[in-house]
Amino acid sequence: MLSEKVEQMMEWSSRRSVVRMNGDKFRRFVKAPPRNYSVIVMFTALQPQRQCSVCRQANEEYQVLANSWRYSSAFSNKLFFTVVDYDEGADVFQQLNMNSAPTFMHFPAKGKPKRADTFDLQRIGFASEQLAKWIADRTDVQIRVFRPPNYSGTIALALLVSLVGGLLYLRRNNLEFIYNKTGWAMAALCVVFAMTSGQMWNHIRGPPYAHKNPQNGQVSYIHGSSQAQFVAESHIILLLNAAITMGMVLLNEAATSKGDVGKRRIICLVGLGLVVFFFSFLLSIFRSKYHGYPYSFLIK
Amino acid sequence: CCGLGMWRMSSLLSFSILFLACLAGFSSRLFAVIRFESIIHEFDPWFNYRSTHHLTTNGFYEFLNWFDERAWYPLGRIVGGTVYPGLMVTAGLIHYMLNLLHITVHIRDVCVFLAPVFSGLTAISTFLLTRELWNQGAGLLAACFIAIVPGYISRSVAGSFDNEGIAIFALQFTYYLWVKSVKTGSVFWAIGCCLSYFYMVSAWGGYVFIINLIPLHVFVLMLMQRYSRRVYIAYSTFYIVGLVLSMQIPFVGFQPIRTSEHMAAAGVFALLQAYAFLQYLKDRLTRQEFQTLFLLGVSLAAGVVFLTVIYLTYTGLYAKIHIPIIASVSEHQPTTWVSFFFDLHILVCTFPAGLWFCIKNVNDERVFVALYAISAVYFAGVMVRLMLTLTPVVCMLSAVAFSSVFEHYMGDDTKREKPPQEKAEEGLGPNVKSIVTMLMLMLLMMFAVHCTWVTSNAYSSPSVVLASYNHDGTRNILDDFREAYYWLRQNTDEHARVMSWWDYGYQIAGMANRTTLVDNNTWNNSHIALVGKAMSSNESAAYEIMRSLDVDYVLIIFGGVIGYSGDDINKFLWMVRIAEGEHPKDIRESDYFTPQGEFRVDKAGSPTLLNCLMYKMSYYRFGEMQLDFRTPPGFDRTRNAEIGNKDIKFKHLEEAFTSEHWLVRIYKVKSLDNREPLDHKLRSVVPRQKYTSKKVTGLLYVCT
Repeated sequence: MLSEKVEQMMEWSSRRSVVRMNGDKFRRFVKAPPRNYSVIVMFTALQPQRQCSVCRQANEEYQVLANSWRYSSAFSNKLFFTVVDYDEGADVFQQLNMNSAPTFMHFPAKGKPKRADTFDLQRIGFASEQLAKWIADRTDVQIRVFRPPNYSGTIALALLVSLVGGLLYLRRNNLEFIYNKTGWAMAALCVVFAMTSGQMWNHIRGPPYAHKNPQNGQVSYIHGSSQAQFVAESHIILLLNAAITMGMVLLNEAATSKGDVGKRRIICLVGLGLVVFFFSFLLSIFRSKYHGYPYSFLIK
Repeated sequence: CCGLGMWRMSSLLSFSILFLACLAGFSSRLFAVIRFESIIHEFDPWFNYRSTHHLTTNGFYEFLNWFDERAWYPLGRIVGGTVYPGLMVTAGLIHYMLNLLHITVHIRDVCVFLAPVFSGLTAISTFLLTRELWNQGAGLLAACFIAIVPGYISRSVAGSFDNEGIAIFALQFTYYLWVKSVKTGSVFWAIGCCLSYFYMVSAWGGYVFIINLIPLHVFVLMLMQRYSRRVYIAYSTFYIVGLVLSMQIPFVGFQPIRTSEHMAAAGVFALLQAYAFLQYLKDRLTRQEFQTLFLLGVSLAAGVVFLTVIYLTYTGLYAKIHIPIIASVSEHQPTTWVSFFFDLHILVCTFPAGLWFCIKNVNDERVFVALYAISAVYFAGVMVRLMLTLTPVVCMLSAVAFSSVFEHYMGDDTKREKPPQEKAEEGLGPNVKSIVTMLMLMLLMMFAVHCTWVTSNAYSSPSVVLASYNHDGTRNILDDFREAYYWLRQNTDEHARVMSWWDYGYQIAGMANRTTLVDNNTWNNSHIALVGKAMSSNESAAYEIMRSLDVDYVLIIFGGVIGYSGDDINKFLWMVRIAEGEHPKDIRESDYFTPQGEFRVDKAGSPTLLNCLMYKMSYYRFGEMQLDFRTPPGFDRTRNAEIGNKDIKFKHLEEAFTSEHWLVRIYKVKSLDNREPLDHKLRSVVPRQKYTSKKVTGLLYVCT
């Protein structure tokens, strides 16, 4: 009986790394004795109408892990990866009193699953490496997670380089635009504005766009503390910095250009207004984040 | 154009402005000295101070060959080969010179005031550099900016005896000499640049920035077809002599020819030689097309190498996931816009305008400053600590912007020489000009006020001495740290070994003069993990580890009485994580959380946490202490919870010292008992039934 079960599981595993189970298969192969193998089960709800985005992300990581196990040298018939979808095995969910997805459980070869046989998804996350560590903890089976190399970045870069090269080649008779100083100056300023408004922080920490207060529905674009920022906030700061810089450039333009005096005067006043007004605005945003800062300019 | 009198007047004016800038820079860094006393701050400066002290007492060669056996017991640390000696040698040299003139200054005072003095020198070198780039007026503005800007002050207050204090001066001076050598093409200036670069290499690990920026500058000049004999002479001399000089520092050693960070310089050197050779051939032959194609191929190869280097630094994110000790240091974090504004105020908004002007009116040296600005702003965006390298270039470029505005809106006198009919049409009118000038001056005044406020509030705390202010403004000084370190110094054996978390290693070595197990150098992760494991295990397991490391005293920081949030219980999870990284079978982070996943120190806390050594040491006898009548005894002010385990008893430790506000607690590790006490009950002696042998009559045997 036992050898039949093991053979059946091995056959299914050889076809797909993650064996799909419904209620009957689950009861027969995972819960019912005799068993001399461990089973890792992912309880999930992958149907689109369930709208469980976490389930889909966890499923990808689970697949990577199961594939790593399947193609590793330590592959044996002591450990199997399975999945139970809610729409295929709702009775299993009920039987185990499970009401959240995704959940990872380990069913050991002998005895009932203990508290530690449920993976603490909330605290650790569902990265394959963490799952492998948990499995190693529970079953003493070490799985080396092998992620297939992601070539999309390299392909995108190669495409970009060939595009740029192609454009340059097509315009090789008229390469004047490379010598255009304004273009280079704009590019440099874009880099500077992106960095000083905190885009790297956004890229690394991934903050939300803005925060909606659940009680009164008010949307706040500026984070309350000085330790964090929203994406919307960094865009606002970018625009403010750009405005102040443009103001300074206009001031200089107005003084050095040769044209109608009235027009120059207007440019000069516009530049001055930009600098002063937007700097005061920036200062007031800074004040709202840094409680205890005593200075302000025109706007409180 | 101007008479000799005007020239003398303008040079006197420049001199006095520079002098005032130096004075402003020096005095604005003295807040901590006036509020407290002349003391070394923070953690790292204590190590630098101890090394400088060793240098002045034992001599230069002893310092260079110093093996410190009082740190990282039992491993020791090779100080001579793992430290940048520039700072210690500078302080030692100044101390030596002053004592030679019989001005007997203590080495501690030299160390405390070194950074403010060098900030004045930084202002002067920034003036020289900006004058080469733009003009004298911009130079003076830049000197004034960098004297008071908070981004630089944060690492160079009086008392902060750290590498950055002298490194920024060396950086600016090297860049000035480089710009001068590119402008003049003379070997004299290039050698001067090399000597300044040598000083920079001895002073700070940030010299890698110079050795990558200068080759980048040369490379971009070649791409822009601005190659000339001057660039060739300047870079060839700089690279060879600079390379040889930089390898004289023991810590740097052979890195300049082995590591990837230095390869860009070598690549550009090779490229430059190839380019110069081909230029030489071009004068002789006429195969232009072949030549440009060849140049394109070579420059592409060098560009790829350089891009790989940048990519590798960008993906330094990798290190953060896999080495928890790197993630735990708060300086290695990306920068929010608030940090930019806090450290640079209006300069961060106006320096792009200066960059715009530099690019629009480009020449060889303005290419350099544009590259400097872009690379510095990228690095500052990625890591907060590198804001320091951005500060000089921000000061220079915003000085350029402000200077060009002021030049056009204040200069009425120079127009007197122009014919009068032009003046009526061209001028913007004195009203507009004076409004603009006035508002610009108000903005600059706000900048100065902001800088002083930031310096006074944020960057002037010695962190060895804490101060709190009562409602009526009087000051409460908490001197617990020094109290505890001096207790250690005076009441323990000279060769006693103190175990504490690595944050306090340098201070214990500097102030208490005792051997430590781990310190801020963090070069050995396994040793730190051992200490972390000892702190997180229960008392018996920890005692074994402490016996194996010969620990005599354990020192911890506990902030529950005064509400100090930087204590060891708040850092405890990092100890657990680092220990788990090396000993995953013994320490599991999940054991220290409640089943709901919270970290709690009260009754609901996890039993592993409530019985670990750190918990017991922090809260020993704290359960009897009632801070005020509203809270129960044993109420931890930092965690706002009543502690769970109030009845703590120690088997292998005994309390040696607790400071006045319970901030520092020192425990003595007891040696092994003479006799192992019995753990189990003694056998009870109960008489059994009498045994009567049926064979032998008359004799009774009583068995027990």
